[in-house]
Amino acid sequence: MPKLAKNEKPPMKPLKIAFLLVLVSVSTILSADGQVIPISLEAAKEQGRTKSRFLKETKVTAKATDEIPKANLAYFQKSVMPILKKSCINCHGPKKSEGRLRIDQLNPDLLAGPDVERWRELYNAVSNSEMPPENEPGYALAETDRGSMVDWLGEELNKASLIRRNTKDHSSFRRLTKYEYDYALQDLLGLPYSLANKLPPESVTEDGFKNSSELLQISAMQFETYREIALKALKRATVSGDRSPEAVTYIISMEKEMEKAAAKKDTKEAVKGKKNAKSPKNQQQLLDQQTGESIPFPAVKFAPKAGAVVGQTPAVSPVVMVLPSSSELKLDLDRFLPDEGVMRVRIRANRSNMNPDEFASLRLMLSAHTSNDANFSQVISQRDIPVTSSADNPQFIHFDIPLGDIQRNPFRKLTTTYPRRDEFLHIQNVSNASKGEDRLSVLIDYIEISAPFYEQWPPKTHTNIFIESASKSDENIYGREVLNRFLARAWRRPVTSQEVDQFMGLFAKYRPGFSTFEDAMVEVLATALASPEFLYLTQRVSADKSKSASISEVELASRLSVFLWSSIPDEELLKLAGQGKLRKPDVLAGQVKRMLADPRSKRFSQNFVEQWLGLDGLNSVTHIPPPLKDAIQEEPIAFFDEVLRQNRSIMDFIHSDYAVVNEKLAAHYGIPKVYGPHFRKVPIAVQMNRGGILTGAAILAMNSDGKDSNPLKRGVWMLKRILHDPPPPPPPNVPEVDLTNPEILKMTLKERIADHRNKAACISCHAKIDPWGIAFENYDALGIFRASINNKPVDATSELFNHQKLAGIDGVKRYILTDRQDQFARAMVHKLTAYALGRPLSFADRADIDGLTSQLRQHDDKLGDLISLIIGSNLFNSK
Amino acid sequence: MNNKSIFLSRRKFLQGTGVSLALPWLETFAVGKPSPDETAKRFVSIYHPDGVGLPLKKDPAWKDWSWFPRGGEKDFQLTKVLDVLEPLRSEITIYSGLSHPVARKVHGHSNADQYLTGAPIGGHGPYQNTISVDQVYAEKAGAFTRHASLVMSTNGGVGGPRGAQTQSFNREGRPIPAMNKPKQIFDMLFVTSGKDAAARLARSKSALDLLIENTRSLGRELSKRDQDTLNQYLDAVRDTELKLVKAQKWIDTPIPKVDTRNLHLDAEPKEARLYFQTMYELIYLAFLSDSTRVATFQLGRENGEGPHDLLSRAVGLGAAHHLTHEVKKPDGWKNLGTYNRYQAEEFGRFVQKLKDTPEPNGKGNMLDNTFAMHGSASSSFHLSRNYPIISAGGKNLGFNNGRYLKFGKGNEDNQAGAGIDTDAGWQGKVEVEELPLTKLFVTILQRLGVETDSFGGLTGSLNI
Repeated sequence: MPKLAKNEKPPMKPLKIAFLLVLVSVSTILSADGQVIPISLEAAKEQGRTKSRFLKETKVTAKATDEIPKANLAYFQKSVMPILKKSCINCHGPKKSEGRLRIDQLNPDLLAGPDVERWRELYNAVSNSEMPPENEPGYALAETDRGSMVDWLGEELNKASLIRRNTKDHSSFRRLTKYEYDYALQDLLGLPYSLANKLPPESVTEDGFKNSSELLQISAMQFETYREIALKALKRATVSGDRSPEAVTYIISMEKEMEKAAAKKDTKEAVKGKKNAKSPKNQQQLLDQQTGESIPFPAVKFAPKAGAVVGQTPAVSPVVMVLPSSSELKLDLDRFLPDEGVMRVRIRANRSNMNPDEFASLRLMLSAHTSNDANFSQVISQRDIPVTSSADNPQFIHFDIPLGDIQRNPFRKLTTTYPRRDEFLHIQNVSNASKGEDRLSVLIDYIEISAPFYEQWPPKTHTNIFIESASKSDENIYGREVLNRFLARAWRRPVTSQEVDQFMGLFAKYRPGFSTFEDAMVEVLATALASPEFLYLTQRVSADKSKSASISEVELASRLSVFLWSSIPDEELLKLAGQGKLRKPDVLAGQVKRMLADPRSKRFSQNFVEQWLGLDGLNSVTHIPPPLKDAIQEEPIAFFDEVLRQNRSIMDFIHSDYAVVNEKLAAHYGIPKVYGPHFRKVPIAVQMNRGGILTGAAILAMNSDGKDSNPLKRGVWMLKRILHDPPPPPPPNVPEVDLTNPEILKMTLKERIADHRNKAACISCHAKIDPWGIAFENYDALGIFRASINNKPVDATSELFNHQKLAGIDGVKRYILTDRQDQFARAMVHKLTAYALGRPLSFADRADIDGLTSQLRQHDDKLGDLISLIIGSNLFNSK
Repeated sequence: MNNKSIFLSRRKFLQGTGVSLALPWLETFAVGKPSPDETAKRFVSIYHPDGVGLPLKKDPAWKDWSWFPRGGEKDFQLTKVLDVLEPLRSEITIYSGLSHPVARKVHGHSNADQYLTGAPIGGHGPYQNTISVDQVYAEKAGAFTRHASLVMSTNGGVGGPRGAQTQSFNREGRPIPAMNKPKQIFDMLFVTSGKDAAARLARSKSALDLLIENTRSLGRELSKRDQDTLNQYLDAVRDTELKLVKAQKWIDTPIPKVDTRNLHLDAEPKEARLYFQTMYELIYLAFLSDSTRVATFQLGRENGEGPHDLLSRAVGLGAAHHLTHEVKKPDGWKNLGTYNRYQAEEFGRFVQKLKDTPEPNGKGNMLDNTFAMHGSASSSFHLSRNYPIISAGGKNLGFNNGRYLKFGKGNEDNQAGAGIDTDAGWQGKVEVEELPLTKLFVTILQRLGVETDSFGGLTGSLNI
């Protein structure tokens, strides 16, 4: 990460300037035979950059859409008032005031005046053609008049709502979101799984953010849920007793299973377990790799082994379970798994070949089939774990599953045998291997399953709270020690002795009701986690007047960690803040670098991108099969992560000559030779019609109606998410396109949209939205590129409100890159800053956003630099 | 133009900003302030698995043993299956043409799971349910009573996914365990003292005191604007305190004494009549003492063995589930009809008792203030369509009885899927139009005083 002194202008490379001079304001070049060839999109990036006002001027005024709006009274007087006089005021004026409405008395300044709600009613009634009444032909409105009235009102209402939203002074004081709370609890207690599912989902702001202070409310029910979750989590993290509870342990050795099956030669099972020397080696079976003998895996119930020790490493056996791609080993564990605690599943596995294009991972599922149609099956592993080792050196793969959190067989404790009590553990091979005699299988020779599993006793999660201390025997002293440490970590600041006293007071009240110190203390700690000091991001008023606008160092630590980790700060950040060193530029830069290198920063990519692009929209999409859907949802996050980690230009989001895909998605896009489930950067050719995020299947699929593209949704999405120029919300009761009308059914989609747009009430908004969406028409509801629809060539050309012609998606990219880079850069700064601050931005923040945009552009639009610029900005360091 | 549109546009605005998502959570929490003049409004749902008999018209058994009545809305005639309800004719309503759209092609064996929820639980794979209609009402009515709801079934517990042994699911979609032992239910309602609960309450009380103090001192260090935000947290804590006060009040209030003469607390399902009547009597006593206003009772479990299969012994028949598989055998329709008749008879006895009891704190009798629902989510063999539903009571809530209400189109004589005893039935194409059962749920909720216009993601009510 480069140094970030403010207003630093990196000198432009002279070579680049020369290159740019050639291209300035020429968007096409002439080929030898005189044909016009558009320049490449990469060249358009360079060319568009030269047009940046942020790079030219020292002080930039915001683009038109970001200016503080003013009421358009002149237009009202000139064009609207005459219409009102003619068609409205006779019934809603001095003579008659139907519906107690005096239009003549309404203040036409919607921005400053008190009559916005009345005007909104008027807007609804006129745009829906409810007024003037049909039975009053004398007052009928000409369509053009209706149009100009609706246009004026729509615009003024929009401005009024902008004013209302943006003039309010917003604070970053807010509670943690559901996902931040969840991560905070996990990081604080060291529990690696989600704990907060019981909380309600967050509301989303108009900008798409879930972490915005304006909407993060709290109800009594939520408060109670916080208490409940905290207590449960603390009980999970702590233990009682000197020794770990007796674990239920299954040991499955493939060699033993084969021996057992072979020993049953004379029994009925022998038919099933007949040794079959000729069976191909990619069948699912038990295989002795030395003798070549094989038998099907016997259908047996496994019983726990008394006194078994987990974590063994027996000698590698030639007898293995062969698990071909997309197959599973289903183990009947009977009814012995405990209710609570972590189940560790430890599997020794290797690959059957080392073909670099073939991948295999293991996944766990639990199922039960209690009676004929009562059944369930659920994936219980959080992520698939790749099998990478060769036969010479098999690897141990382990999964830790919280048994109390997954769907279990409710009948497992019956004393009778029906409904069935068994639980089945499935070990699945998720793989891309599909063809060939020598295709990749996973070979397993040894499995351990044990629950409750503890790495050590007492576990680290326990000793993290109940620390080692010389004063353990004195509950009063030790209690204070425990509280001191816990409160400081949970509340992200040093605590006072009075605060510790308060909680010791509570402990004293609780202690008689509990048999152990720990049990009572856990209840006390749960209370600390229901306090606003844990649940909220605080910013205290400073006693020192000279620093009153800034947040303190410990508050900065929290703001940083919530921004980049979606969680609370770790001890290093808190320590630096406590020493007053965090704000030193080199220390801060070092910490930002460390935080982005930490795996927790993946949460930033995920949460920011999900909210910025509105990826929740994919949750309600039902037309994509699940494995593909996962890949589609992950792509924009992986792309953002790539741009962030390589510190590339944000213009790559508009277009890039690479894609970030995995095998599933590459196959979907027709990109050859990408193998395996992991996302990686691959070069793409122009004719693949990809690059950037606009043409990602996520955006295209969620902005479709399930069967076909939806240009309106795509257009609105472009304006809201990419250009940060959201259209006003549609008026209520918008007429649906009437699909029973045979005339309409005959039209193509584009014609239908044009027909709808031509209605007076709709035209002004749609003229701004539709062209953006129509330009995406080459992509269907799954985001697949198409040249024709129903044998007619796709018409993806459109014309923007400003008469700019867009030739399909290439035209959109070209136009943004050539002429609208500043707008996109500013939009990106706006979105990231709003997310970083956890509050809506207002007019008062405009200058700061402009300043940041200017700096970003000077830093060659690099995303990584932008993160540091935001963190170093006044905005980020202010209350 | 009228004033309504202002509210509509505000509401739209709220939806646009996504606040609507948060509202159910804010609304579901109601601190109980029972106004003394408000009469209890009650809801009870009885569910029976295995559906009902639905022979084809040409079958000689059709005349007597088809479950659905014949005739019109008012002049309907009950067959032998439901004629036991003839004396209560003016107090009941029978419905046809209602079902949950997402379940119409799901095997009937999974029906108990979705009857009161309407959730798309599907036939296999991961399982997720949603809140049941009784629990939506319990969130409101629970503010007035010691117990938010009484959840019972013959088999008890939660059952398995797609094999529920309870009709009730909470807001997270988790099953609420049903009680099945009369003695335990009685003790829970009328004996338990709540010593542990009192200790828990005391702890909560101290915790809240500390949090309020702690919040106040934080507030003193915040700007005016941030204090306003913090006040919302404080309000949430205070609302929780009020709830504790209410809980404390129940601990301090003596448990009601009830007449136990009709109770046989040791009854088990194999003594079917005694068991049924005792369970119904417990619901009756819980309602009479206003211990709860919401009850569900599931008469068995879809498919498989279990205590419920013994209930048909009451009418001298073999395993209950088997009756549905043997409708084509001699007397098959009659046997299934006889068992359904017996279920209706016991329901009728309970309804009659409510009718004969004056409302303790209000007008009319207890039945007038109770919406009692009896039904199944299968009509014919494993067929999750055209649910056979009877409701009783609710006059004071706005229900007009003495009617047979047919909804949907194309199945006026209830012959779709009739006479089938193979799985071709439930797997078959949906040929006739039915209305979502959620519409009835919305009507019920509205008349019980819950402000809603949708349930299970479907909007709309029935105009009945």
